[in-house]
Amino acid sequence: MADTSVKMVDTRTLYCKVIYIVNSEWAAQRLVEIQTLMERSTLYRRALAPTTTLTGCMGMAAAWLGWSMPITEGRPFCLFWMATSLCCLILAGLMIRRQAWVAEESFWSPPTRRVAMAMLPALCCGGGLGMLAITQENLPEIFYWGLPPLWMLFYGCALFSAGFFMPRGIKLFGSLFVLTGLLLLSRAVLGSVDGVLPSMAHAHIIMGCSFGFMHFAYGIYLFMTENTSTLES
Amino acid sequence: MKTETFSQLDKVIHEKGRMAIMSSLSSNPDLSFKELKNLLQMTDGNLSVHIRTLQQAGYVAVSKSFLANRPHTSYRLTREGQSAFKAYIELLAQIVEWNQD
Repeated sequence: MADTSVKMVDTRTLYCKVIYIVNSEWAAQRLVEIQTLMERSTLYRRALAPTTTLTGCMGMAAAWLGWSMPITEGRPFCLFWMATSLCCLILAGLMIRRQAWVAEESFWSPPTRRVAMAMLPALCCGGGLGMLAITQENLPEIFYWGLPPLWMLFYGCALFSAGFFMPRGIKLFGSLFVLTGLLLLSRAVLGSVDGVLPSMAHAHIIMGCSFGFMHFAYGIYLFMTENTSTLES
Repeated sequence: MKTETFSQLDKVIHEKGRMAIMSSLSSNPDLSFKELKNLLQMTDGNLSVHIRTLQQAGYVAVSKSFLANRPHTSYRLTREGQSAFKAYIELLAQIVEWNQD
């Protein structure tokens, strides 16, 4: 009789222990789930409208400068646009830094880090191609003509990746770049087959229309849609 | 004591969908209905029901505005919601900690 009661107690204790371990494992899983959800849902909203408008203005100004100078050789073209993109990047970084300072937030916050990491591979590919065009001599003309569409493709991919952590149609904007890049790349390839590649001065207009005007238009759209009027709280 | 801990877990937050909404809102100052829907992959009806429950519990505040001439609804955690969510997480952490001991 005594043996049975001891066994019963043991079984009950074991049962409670198992239940408790199962529950604590479940609690740990829940915590991980919450952490993942919190990380995934932290959206990057910083300085989108001013940075895209500024990038657009700089792109259009650079296109006009490149066209009017004119820069018609492949290597100077790449150098010119690489320098322009670097200026845009620095200015955008300064604007984001300023906004973070005003909002009393850290500049290199987890959302900023995630967006930067998402954009980095595609941007590195585009930058690498640009560096190749600058450092190498005697590259075929089609390579230089292929650069603007390839830059658009990589930039579009970078924006699309960043769109997973950003609101407000960034993915769509990235897709637009990818589509434009693909169309222009096929046009450049067809042009090289036919043997009719226009002067590189025209490439400035393409850069101005895509990187310049598209950014500018998107920035204006963001500015216009940011003005909200609260009805009730 | 340990078994009591489970019953202390906030029933409103405990449901998976509502916990997801609370987690998303806790890491953002505010989120729109569309943003929440995209983030959590929920249907309109499901999301509305859960938000209403959280709103009734006083955990979520709703604000309606106009964005590009379109109605725009955004949600944020109230102070009560923030402390309830914090307490929920602390309780979960306590359960895990006890098992490790």
